[in-house]
Amino acid sequence: MLCFLFAGIAFAQEKTISGTVTDSKGIPLPGVNIIVKNTNTGTQTDFDGLYTIKANRGAVLQFSYLGFENQEVVVADSNTIDIQLNASESVLEEVVITGQGSGIAKRKLSTTVDVLTADEVDKLPSNQIDQLLQSTTPSAQIRLSSGQPGTASIVRTRGPISASTSATPVVIVDGIRVDNLNSNPQLGIGTGGANVSALADIPVESIEKIEYIKGGAATTLYGADAANGVIQIITKKGTKGKPTITFESRVGIINATEDFLKYERTAEALFEPGLSLEYKLGLNGGNEKVTYNFSGSIYSDDSFNQLNEQVRRNLSFGLGAQVTDKLKYQGSFSYVGFEYNLDYNANTSFSRFSAFEGGGRGNLDELSDAQWQSELDRSNRIGETVDITSTVNRFTNSNKFTYEFSDSFDANLTVGIDSRDVVQQNYQTNAFQIAIGAINPGTTDQANLSRTLRKAFTLTSDLNFTYNASLENFDFVTIVGGQFFRTTDRQYFVNGSGGVDGTTDMGFYPTVTSDDFVLENANYGLYFLENIGIYDVAFLEFGGRLDQNTSAGKNSDPLLLPKVGITYNISDHDFYYDSGIREVVSSIKLRANYGEATNFAQPFSQDRTFNLNPYLGLPSFIFNNPGNDDLRSEIVKSTEFGVELGFFNNRLNFSGTRYQAITEDALFTPGAPPSSGQFNQVQNIGEIENKGWEFAFNADIIRTQDHNLSINASYNTNDNIVNSTGGAPAFNVGGFTVIGSWVEEGQSLGYLRGTAATPNGDGTYTFTPNTALGDTFAPNFGSFGLNYSYKNFNLFMTGDYQFGGKIVDLSFLLRHLRGVDNTGIPDDLVGTTNPFNYVNYFVFDNDFVKIRNIGASYSFGDKLAIFSDVTVGFTVTNPFNWTAGDFDPETTGSGIGAQNGFASGGFAYGTESAPRIYMTSLKFKF
Amino acid sequence: MKKISIYIMAIGLLFGCTDDLKNATDFTSVENPNLSESSIVGQPNSSLIWLAGLEREMALTLNEILILSELGSDNYVNTQTFFSQFLDNLEIRIDDPDMRDTQFRIARIRVAAQFGLNQVGPGDSEYTSATEAEYNFFEGMSYLYAGMYFSALPQEELGVPVSSADNLASAIASFETAIALNPQPEYWLALARANYYLGNQTEAVTAAQNAIALDNDFLRSAQYDQLNGPVNLFENALYQRGTFDDLQPLPTLDFLDPKYSFLTPDRDQSVHYLKAEEAYLILAESNLANSNLLAAQNNLQDLLSLIDTREVRNIDDSIEQRPDPSSVFDDRPSSPSVVVNGRAGLVLDRQSGNIDVPTVSGTSLTSADVTAMTLGDAALELLYRTRQEVFIAEGLRFADMGVKLVIHENEILQNPNVSEGDLGTVAVIPSFIDAVKNDLDAINFVPGSNTATTVINLTEILVANKNSDQVLPFH
Repeated sequence: MLCFLFAGIAFAQEKTISGTVTDSKGIPLPGVNIIVKNTNTGTQTDFDGLYTIKANRGAVLQFSYLGFENQEVVVADSNTIDIQLNASESVLEEVVITGQGSGIAKRKLSTTVDVLTADEVDKLPSNQIDQLLQSTTPSAQIRLSSGQPGTASIVRTRGPISASTSATPVVIVDGIRVDNLNSNPQLGIGTGGANVSALADIPVESIEKIEYIKGGAATTLYGADAANGVIQIITKKGTKGKPTITFESRVGIINATEDFLKYERTAEALFEPGLSLEYKLGLNGGNEKVTYNFSGSIYSDDSFNQLNEQVRRNLSFGLGAQVTDKLKYQGSFSYVGFEYNLDYNANTSFSRFSAFEGGGRGNLDELSDAQWQSELDRSNRIGETVDITSTVNRFTNSNKFTYEFSDSFDANLTVGIDSRDVVQQNYQTNAFQIAIGAINPGTTDQANLSRTLRKAFTLTSDLNFTYNASLENFDFVTIVGGQFFRTTDRQYFVNGSGGVDGTTDMGFYPTVTSDDFVLENANYGLYFLENIGIYDVAFLEFGGRLDQNTSAGKNSDPLLLPKVGITYNISDHDFYYDSGIREVVSSIKLRANYGEATNFAQPFSQDRTFNLNPYLGLPSFIFNNPGNDDLRSEIVKSTEFGVELGFFNNRLNFSGTRYQAITEDALFTPGAPPSSGQFNQVQNIGEIENKGWEFAFNADIIRTQDHNLSINASYNTNDNIVNSTGGAPAFNVGGFTVIGSWVEEGQSLGYLRGTAATPNGDGTYTFTPNTALGDTFAPNFGSFGLNYSYKNFNLFMTGDYQFGGKIVDLSFLLRHLRGVDNTGIPDDLVGTTNPFNYVNYFVFDNDFVKIRNIGASYSFGDKLAIFSDVTVGFTVTNPFNWTAGDFDPETTGSGIGAQNGFASGGFAYGTESAPRIYMTSLKFKF
Repeated sequence: MKKISIYIMAIGLLFGCTDDLKNATDFTSVENPNLSESSIVGQPNSSLIWLAGLEREMALTLNEILILSELGSDNYVNTQTFFSQFLDNLEIRIDDPDMRDTQFRIARIRVAAQFGLNQVGPGDSEYTSATEAEYNFFEGMSYLYAGMYFSALPQEELGVPVSSADNLASAIASFETAIALNPQPEYWLALARANYYLGNQTEAVTAAQNAIALDNDFLRSAQYDQLNGPVNLFENALYQRGTFDDLQPLPTLDFLDPKYSFLTPDRDQSVHYLKAEEAYLILAESNLANSNLLAAQNNLQDLLSLIDTREVRNIDDSIEQRPDPSSVFDDRPSSPSVVVNGRAGLVLDRQSGNIDVPTVSGTSLTSADVTAMTLGDAALELLYRTRQEVFIAEGLRFADMGVKLVIHENEILQNPNVSEGDLGTVAVIPSFIDAVKNDLDAINFVPGSNTATTVINLTEILVANKNSDQVLPFH
């Protein structure tokens, strides 16, 4: 009994323990968290890795440090406990899949990749890929072009590299290319602006991580059209362990962003707060052989205005199976159903928003109450009859087979499809046409129904072999593979006219016309990649792709796209470990690479073709495309140099990259000489250069047991210039005739050009046609964010900014033309000449700083009843804006009208800004 | 491993032995829906289909020309439109895309006609001389428009710019070839017009007489397909509402507007680009120039008789207002009680029931006016006013003003044969037009009052300058 008592006292006896925490090479680690397990007692190591803590004999000390594996030690007799922490494998060997053929450790790569993890994705309220990446990736410019549903952003990274395609990256889900058409389809329903996008319905359920590579050497292996970069979504395939079920509900209030309105009355007429509801159900689990992950969700909202509504339905399923010892299978399947309606926008007088804001209904501030009431009545009559709908059904399937011939040799086969159907419909009833004043009241036989079906189908297949070898101090990773993908884009358009109101049955329309459009392309290539590790500190990689596609002219040969890179992790040397520098500069990585990637021309644009137009019920021939047998892909040759630095045990991290990308044989479509009487032909005649710096910085400012605060910021520059147009005269690639986006030698791609007026000081003006009025691509941009947690509470913020570019405020131009707004225009100029002779007064800086998300969440852990975790969250999206002008420089929806066309984003006009959303979420896990 | 090998062998055998799988595994074949040259050249009946293409091109060409020429004249003012930003005030500049598009359309008719003559026709077993005549006619129309609207335009890709007179001469040659193959009244009238603008009075008169001798009420029209396009763009500008477009006529021409209005869901209204009326007007003008008043009066009486037979549509035009309610511009005369330039009955009431609008030709000229005519400038003014009315929305007023468009900078920059400053690159505006160019559409009107005046009377100005080389070619 006594013994027991003594033993008990001894056992419970508190003592002071001290020691040093070092890494595997004996370097002291400052800031390591040490807690006595299952208590509130804790401390941290000092700058020399020393610590002191009080604990009872038998207690368990837990040592944790970011980037290292946790260790637990039982307190025994000794009062000194020295600990060596091992670097975490997951950090050391963080694997990058995208652009490598097979997974390769990030530290071996000379190229950069931005990664968004599952946790980061889960925190964000959005369910659109572009909005997830906005302000969370350090070096992408993602600009929301409209607040209308189904629309998406202009996405750019290292500047505009092509005049003939949009800057949208290739999007890949589990190795499978998916439709990424970020513009209205060729036969799409025109709403004036607010062009819809396939990016709006890319499956974003169950994301394990998103990798974003920015072109250049990183995309060489993708060849084809990957010069704009690649976004890969990797979905969850389940984790071993007991099944977990999660249920999450989100409720949001959607308010219009009214900051940029010219007239408050516009908001009164059109806006009204809406409600969003979302329910998500997840199931995850598995055993040694099979893992699975299921997620399903439904979402609906009725938007920030009177008209828009949207419904999304998602199902996704991921499976991992160890079929045999050697064969592993990973599959994923996702379905996205997306229905929404649109309002008329921007470049049509059917648009109430652009009519109000563009002065089309006069100066709203000056209307009497009675006049305004009459406007409101008219607006409501129109609003009730606008009927533009869109329904998307998308299925994506990926299948990946890995066969391990041996520990060092395996084969990967990926096969999958993406199938996306969109039906767009615009129903213009007699009532609608009467409401807008297009037809006489009383008309009953002029209803018009347009319907477009677009079927986009993509098949992707990739087979590669990976061989790992070691030879004393050299490691080799060899990847050889082949890839093909083919895309088919079929569009059918049918229009019924002369109908009565009340039916959307096309058969009921007396006059029906139809049209179709086909684009088909097959792209195939062989690739090879060798990564040689030298003493496990330096890595040399080289490889290339032999690329061919069916969109090339018959005289063009397959393209060989080489890449080469070198990476040097100086801080991995033993001598570096032994030196004192490491205590301050904890890691140094240098990297350099060169690589080529391409964009191919629109399929069939190489052919000389003729049109057979139906005309008055008979066929009629005429010339169409002039043809170009020498047409080939444009090649983007990128060189980059970079450094990654970590300070104070990587609590401060800095990354800097210098890049230069030259687009050779750039696909330009200059204006044919009018005397030819022929259409313009795309040709490989241009050269475009982009160069700039990318800096990213993050810091763990506070890292204690309870408090963690980290911040991140990035700053990027882009200097874009058209080196050559191959002798072709300047040509217009967007905007309007009097003030457009142009391509001209010596200027930035898509720069703004128009007639400028400069005062002579005596009341007269000098008018200079074709004046350069600024670059549409902001040459300076970046993002910033912070993340703070206190125990189970988390707070985060993300934002982005840009400056240095220019944009046209087209709504102002229209207001001025209509005589209701002369703000900032000299009195002695107004009325003396056509406003199109002084368009410089409508061009403004496109600078902005925007806070995109602020969110907070609290996790209750397992304290609540049957649940293993309950999390409540609150986010607000788009809460704060600061802009240089009085308008939103992002609302450029009207600029991406042509299928996959170039988007300069230089014209803000007539569409609503992305709304302000307040959302609460409640997540149960059990 | 062994099993796998067997599977691979089995799959290999399957692929190798089965031809049917070839299609399934050839992933590089793509479906190209486009038409190639071999589907056209050498095919029976292709020449007629090519000719239909030319007719369609003509409709597209007039869509370009009419907007520019009608805005550039005193006929219409732009109150709310993105159609041509510059022409209203006769700002004619080499960087205006409308210059490019007009030049392109004129050239396209030429190259399409030549392709028909050189490739499609000879390759078609069913090719007829009537079709060949049409190809020549269209080639001639391309030169005619080049001569009417441009001081110089190349006749081949990147070719040397050819002067207006030489383009008109080329037009004459083409029309003569067409007439030789298959004489048609519109070929003769086109020949008459080319000679008219060249000042070749005798040849113009002969051709005009030959035209009406073949058919005294012929119409050659560009037809528009409301269903499949092209639609009549000028109809959009004049009549269709709810768009940005609104052209308003000079109040003296109000009763002629809208010449084009909604027809059927299938058809849009035609533009009559060659019509018998023009022959009578050429003859009358020639007779006035020769001081042969009686003959001129007879020509004009014939003209009035012809106009009487032309279609007048009774339409509901109540959605058209003066100005359009969606614009914020000043009120314009909209009541029949408004007297314009001292003349009553020129303005229609569009809000009280349907209105009658001539769709081919209309005029305020009366038989009594003709009878009362005496030799002198007043008669010429009457004739030119009638030309303006009869040809409203058909692009002739602009040519009658002697104004010429310019070669677009896209051509100047690429064509080694032309530089900025050369003939064709500088706008030609007669000085007496230039002096009033900002007042072409200006009116004095106090809303609610019963009188309105145009700030200038362009017809009067044209006649006052009849001895200029640039206008009134027979004087």
